[in-house]
Amino acid sequence: MTLAAAATLLGGMLLGYLGQRSRMCFVGAIRDWLLVRDASLLKGLVAFGLTAWLAYPVLSLLVGEGEGLPFLSLGDLAWGTALVAVIAGMGLGVVSTLANGCPFRQHVRAGQGSTSSLAYLLGFYLGALAFYLLLYPVLARLL
Amino acid sequence: MEASRQGGTSRAEGIARPGLWGLRVTPVAFGVTLGVMAVALEVLFTVRPPSAYGVCIACHGRDLLGWVTNRLAGTSLELAEVSLTFPLLTVVGVLVGAAIAALRNGELRWHQPEQPLPSFLWGFLAMNFALLAAGCSIRLLLRAAHGEALGLAAFGAMAGGIGVATTLMKWRALR
Repeated sequence: MTLAAAATLLGGMLLGYLGQRSRMCFVGAIRDWLLVRDASLLKGLVAFGLTAWLAYPVLSLLVGEGEGLPFLSLGDLAWGTALVAVIAGMGLGVVSTLANGCPFRQHVRAGQGSTSSLAYLLGFYLGALAFYLLLYPVLARLL
Repeated sequence: MEASRQGGTSRAEGIARPGLWGLRVTPVAFGVTLGVMAVALEVLFTVRPPSAYGVCIACHGRDLLGWVTNRLAGTSLELAEVSLTFPLLTVVGVLVGAAIAALRNGELRWHQPEQPLPSFLWGFLAMNFALLAAGCSIRLLLRAAHGEALGLAAFGAMAGGIGVATTLMKWRALR
């Protein structure tokens, strides 16, 4: 087993544990705020974004990768890719709201015994197979 | 009756098990831990390439499933480079960690499926959208924090999608 696999297994376990205790959900955070102006989960989302944003330069310096990150990079942006990302992002937001939780929250709920979340996970992983067997070849030809 | 009994149980356990195991973790504490961990996994524990790949539920799940399918069925499904020799195990960890937390706090029980078919459909669509956007809700924000404009745009679009669905649900409930 590689270092990355072992680290993600242990890291995932910690996230699953803390996720179950905090009931954190990245879709629920935005939904709760929009619906009833409840910002408790939203604070967690903002905390994640800010911490990661600060941790990138700090940890990169620590391991001697101090070339510095761009503030916001466009990369070699293709407009087709950007359009797909925006439409797909929007779709992810809609279906996750209807499903009552982001993919992370669904995994946590499945871990604590929710059968409707298990049904979600079945669809989730069959969806990955369908994506690579059906949708991806079509899109690769179009874009 | 059922609810009050369960409430009583968890309170009793809260008293019986103080400390980290019974701790009520705030969303902010979770967010900070996730932020540090996602970056540390990438920078210190070589969870890359691609970049900003430390934590992603959809992509890591895809890697694990694809790796197993490729081994068992001889297919050649696409995987991230980091998962080629051995897949990332984040999703397994999350399931196990959540189960341990639920077990320790008396919250592990099998709920009857309320709506298994819609849930299945939402899961199916969520994975396809996440793979198209190159990230679940966590990785879209992580990519934005890494300075990727496309990640920020996709995350903003996701927030917009949540707004659309919330408005729709509110409108349907009020009708």
